[in-house]
Amino acid sequence: MKKLLLISILASINLYFTSCSKDDNPTDETNGTVEVEFDNIALVDGIQRQLSMVTPGSSDYQYTNALNQKFNINLLRYYISNIVLEGPNGEYFEDKVSVTTTAVKGIYLVDESNHTSSLITLSDVPAGEYNKIKFTVGVDENGVTEGAAGGILDPATCNMFWNWNSGYIALKFEGQSPDSNGGVSGTETLDENSIHGIAYHIGGWRDIEGTAFVYNNKALSLDFDTNAKVKYGEQPHVHIVMDVLTLFNGENDIDFTGNHNVHKPLDGVDMANNIPNAFTFDHIHQ
Amino acid sequence: MKNLLFTIIIIFSISCQKDDVVENPYQLSYPAYFPELKYPLDTNPITKAGFELGKKLFNDPRLSIDNSVACSNCHVKSVAFTDPQHNPSVGVFERSGTRNAPMIANMAFQPEFLLDGGVSHLDFVPVFAIENQREMAESLVHVVTKLNKIDEYRQEFRNAFPNLDTITSPFMLKALSQYMLLLVSDEAKYDHVLQGIAQYTQDELAGKTLFDSKCATCHSGALFTNYGFFNNGLDSSFEDIGRAKITESDSDLGKFKVPSLRNIGRTAPYMHDGRFETLEEVLNHYRFGVKDSPTLAQELRTAGQLGIELSDDEAEKIILFLNTLTDYEFISNPIF
Repeated sequence: MKKLLLISILASINLYFTSCSKDDNPTDETNGTVEVEFDNIALVDGIQRQLSMVTPGSSDYQYTNALNQKFNINLLRYYISNIVLEGPNGEYFEDKVSVTTTAVKGIYLVDESNHTSSLITLSDVPAGEYNKIKFTVGVDENGVTEGAAGGILDPATCNMFWNWNSGYIALKFEGQSPDSNGGVSGTETLDENSIHGIAYHIGGWRDIEGTAFVYNNKALSLDFDTNAKVKYGEQPHVHIVMDVLTLFNGENDIDFTGNHNVHKPLDGVDMANNIPNAFTFDHIHQ
Repeated sequence: MKNLLFTIIIIFSISCQKDDVVENPYQLSYPAYFPELKYPLDTNPITKAGFELGKKLFNDPRLSIDNSVACSNCHVKSVAFTDPQHNPSVGVFERSGTRNAPMIANMAFQPEFLLDGGVSHLDFVPVFAIENQREMAESLVHVVTKLNKIDEYRQEFRNAFPNLDTITSPFMLKALSQYMLLLVSDEAKYDHVLQGIAQYTQDELAGKTLFDSKCATCHSGALFTNYGFFNNGLDSSFEDIGRAKITESDSDLGKFKVPSLRNIGRTAPYMHDGRFETLEEVLNHYRFGVKDSPTLAQELRTAGQLGIELSDDEAEKIILFLNTLTDYEFISNPIF
C-alpha cells in the first residue's frame, strides 16, 4: 500500500493535446495583414542616417554621444513583444504571445545583422482603421514561465539569455569607443583584450511590485499620423525607427569612461530609460 | 463548509480511482499534504522515454566541456543528489565551486532555484550548471552539437519527442526536467507517520515539538522550507552576497534560500558554502554562533539575544526528529 494519500496528475497529456487544437482558428476572409518594420537609424543633425556597422575592434568611429565621446557599433539586437494595434473606433488586435519548444509566436528578435528580422508580419488583423501601436521592448514573464523554448528564444542559440538570472536580455549593444578603457566580459564580439570595448546588455524582466528587482523591459505606445487601413487583400506597412544615438543621449547620458560594461539589470537602468525615446513612429505605406 | 465537504469528496474519489490502477512510476504523484505544484506540467508531459532520456543526460559527462563532469558527479543519488565527496564540489579541470551542491528532490514544487534563486524555472537550471566556468564550462549550443552527432541520442530524442529531426536545447532541457520532476521524496518516516503507518519514538516526537516551535517558521510545511531568502547569521560580512546578486539590493546581502530539510541526515556538508560537516555543528551555530549584521533574519534575534535557545538535550532530540526525514526508498529507488 505505497502512497496512500496521493493526488495523481492524470490529465496532463490530455491538456497538452487540448491546448493544441485551440490554435486552429479558421482564417477569417475579412481580416488583413499589417507589416511593421523596425528601422535602426542614427539621427545625426536631424537627418536619419542608415546605421553603419563595423567589424569588432575597428577604430573607425562614426558616432558621437552627448558627452562628445566617439563610438561605433559591432552588434545591435533587441526583442519586440506584446504587440497591440488600436483604432479610433474600437478596433483592437493583439498579437498573442505563445512559446513552445519548437515555435515562438508574438515575440520577435530584431537583429541589425539580419535585415529580414526587422520586418514583422501581423496576420489575421480584423478589418478596420488603426492609429496606434503598442509593444514591449524585451521579453516579459509570458515568454519565460513556459520554460525552455525554441526558435528565437532557444537559450543555446539566441545569444540573449542570462543563465545566472534566468531570462532574456531585452536589448544588446556592443561596439568600441576610444574613451572606454576596455576590459569588457561576457560578450559576443569583444573580449578582455578589446582595449576600447563597450557592451550594454540591458535586461531585467521580473516585474514584481514590492520587490527590489529592476524591471528594464519597456512598454511603448506610438500614435500614427495617418490611419492604417486594414482589409482583406491589403497590407499596410508601418515604419518605426529606432535611433541608436538616443540610447546614449537623452534622459540619461551614457558615459563610456565609466559605465561601459553592462551585464546586470541595475547597471542597465540608465540606458533602459532612454529606450522609450529611441523608438518613434515614422510613416505608413498603405 | 460546503467547500470543505466538496474538497473531501474530490480527494476521496481521486484516491479511490488511485486504488483501481497499477501505479505508473513515470507519472508525477505526491501526497496531498505537499505544497502546490509549481512546474507547468502541461508544457512538458512526462513520459517513460522522456524521463529515461533525462536520466541518461543527467549522468552523461559529455555535457561538460572536456567530457569529464556529469550532473551526477556533484548530485549523487545515494545522498539525495548532493555531493558527499568534495566540499565544495569540483568541476572541470579540478576547478572548485563556491557553493554547496544542493539536493535535487521535490523540484516540481520549488518556485525558484539555486541558492540565490536566480533561476525561476526548472528547465533553466541545467543551463546554469553547464555554462558555469567552475562547473561544466561548456556552451549549451556545443552540447547540442555533440548530442546531434550521437546516433543513440538522436534515436532516444525521437522516442521521447516524436517527429524530432534535430536535437535542440529546449528538448534536452525538457527531458532533464522530466527526470528531475519525478525525483519526489515522500517516503520518509515522517511521511509514514502522517499516513498512519509508522510512529515516532518518544524522543523523535519531543524533537518534532521542539522543531515546530523553534525552527518551523522558516523550515515550514511538508518540504520544510518557506522558500524564502534569509541571512542565518553565518557571517557579519559577506564574501558571497547571495540573494543580493539577483535582486541587486543591499537589503538582501548574505541571504540564501531556506533549504528543504528532507533527507538532511544524508546531505552533509551543510550551509550554502558547506562549512559544517554535522548536524550537531549546525545546531551549535544556531545556539551559539549566530553573528549579527543588518540583514540578519529577525527570527534569530529575539529579545535582544542572537540565535535560538536550546539545551544540549533539546538539540539532540531535534536531530533525532531530523533523521526521520531520511527517505531510504528515494535514495535507493532503482528507477532513479
